[in-house]
Amino acid sequence: MIEVRQLTKRYGAKAAVDNLSFTVRPGRVTGFLGANGAGKSTTMRAILGLDRPTSGSALIDGRPYAEMRNPVHHVGALLDAGAVHGGRSAFNHLLCLATSNGISGARVTQVLDQVGLAGVARKRVGGFSLGMKQRLGIAGTLLGDPGILMFDEPVNGLDPEGIRWIREFMRDLAAEGRTVLVSSHLMSEMALTADHVVIIGRGKLITEASMAELAERHHRGVLVRTPQASALSTALRESGAAVVAAADGSLSVSGMEASAIGELAFARGVVLHEITPRSASLEEAYMELTDDSVEYRATRTSPRAAETPERSAA
Amino acid sequence: MSTITATRPAAPPAEVNTSGLARTIASEWVKLRSVRSTHMYLGAIVLAVALGGLVAYLMTADWDASPAEEQAMFGGADPAQLAFPIAQFCLAALAALAMTSEYATGMIRTSLTAVPARGRMLLSKAVVVTVVTAVTGLALTLVCFFLGAAITGDRPAPIRAWESFGDALPTLLSHSAALVSMALVGLGLGAILRATAGALVAITGLLFVVPIAVQFLPRELGMKIFATLPIELPGQLAGTASDPVYSQPAAAGILALYAAVALTAGWLLLRRRDA
Repeated sequence: MIEVRQLTKRYGAKAAVDNLSFTVRPGRVTGFLGANGAGKSTTMRAILGLDRPTSGSALIDGRPYAEMRNPVHHVGALLDAGAVHGGRSAFNHLLCLATSNGISGARVTQVLDQVGLAGVARKRVGGFSLGMKQRLGIAGTLLGDPGILMFDEPVNGLDPEGIRWIREFMRDLAAEGRTVLVSSHLMSEMALTADHVVIIGRGKLITEASMAELAERHHRGVLVRTPQASALSTALRESGAAVVAAADGSLSVSGMEASAIGELAFARGVVLHEITPRSASLEEAYMELTDDSVEYRATRTSPRAAETPERSAA
Repeated sequence: MSTITATRPAAPPAEVNTSGLARTIASEWVKLRSVRSTHMYLGAIVLAVALGGLVAYLMTADWDASPAEEQAMFGGADPAQLAFPIAQFCLAALAALAMTSEYATGMIRTSLTAVPARGRMLLSKAVVVTVVTAVTGLALTLVCFFLGAAITGDRPAPIRAWESFGDALPTLLSHSAALVSMALVGLGLGAILRATAGALVAITGLLFVVPIAVQFLPRELGMKIFATLPIELPGQLAGTASDPVYSQPAAAGILALYAAVALTAGWLLLRRRDA
């Protein structure tokens, strides 16, 4: 279990992480979401004792990371797959990490095999592709068979096959009862991987919820298609539901469950062509939640609008 | 690359409770021996010895061809005179790289995740650097001694650098000690500066630039500072300096102090700074 308690990290006057608290529990994949610069990496570095918090704390199974004698046996962390000496072979890179935690070279061979790098074990890491470096980093997290795993943006730069591999890999780890924390700014990816999400913006917690709770909260009503739209609309409004008619003739109904809508239509003899409960995608929910807290945003200006001041100046 | 699924390892490694320091030292040894730069610097030292031998050989040949009155003005044909300063720079650079290469590559964050005890990591690096430079230093000075003796043969002083092995021994040991001290200074500078270029400039400055700059100081003060510089300490430590400012124990203390100050400063900064 990872506990982040009132964590604050300031760089000068700017707070990269601001009084952030959340808990990462075992047995599920926890997605750590936020825009670029929201403070995800800083939080993860603080959890690993790489950055010293300005205030607050981060605990791993109840104690600070820096106090662990053999951290590789408890936590497997991959913050940056590029954080390796390019001149070392894959085997020697892992051997450096393994030896410091009393793990043998035989285990290094084992994890290299597990991630599919056995064939390039003696090759210099500098020549590896990004995908191979990610696999090497993941091999490093597996060395001590840890109960807690942390990955920072693990799918960045990977091809579709690599992305799928990592997704299944993380789901398997969580299924084995391990604690898995994975950060990403890719909502679509997290929607497929995470069971639980922690969303931050500008270093502050925006929400912490399970994917099911999030879908519930960002419920978008029920989509109904019928050739008798006006009759159904009237009936629904009489029953207290709100109805919005879209341009394509479909109805968006809120305030009533899909089952109740179906029963009402049946009672009134209205034919239904489609009835679909809708909820916001994780991406939509995320956009709604973080609307006010995006640090760096491109302002959308049409080329025409941008030209106008120039014209008037001329 | 085949698709693989995460399977639980057949035999998860058991957490062992051997000494953390011993394991970290072993890990730092793997780090040092597994990078090309280490081998390149050690190779450069071998070349420097060969070059020193060549110079000693040429000197001896020149001595043989010189009239007696000129022979008296020759210095000793000792390969170490060329090889030692080069080795001192190479070993200090090798040690600095043990720290700065971690920052240059980002490896430091991976390393500190495996070994969060930063003082233990730096101490382990210091132990590995001490052993490697002490062994290299002793090998270098011994090879230089025997090479020089073989080249000069039964010729008399001054072309013959040492009367006997016992005569040379204090210098061989003090040279080795100075190599260890400067390598530890290099390691400390690496931890302080975190950048390879900066550390190499600082080492070059200390070994080769400051000795020149000091000569522009007022004579009395200049002599005192000059005698305190790393290049002047081995002679005073061995007791062979013609006009020593420091006693042998004092020279040993100053050499140790160089290493201690650099490592302590490096440790304090390493402990405090974000990685």
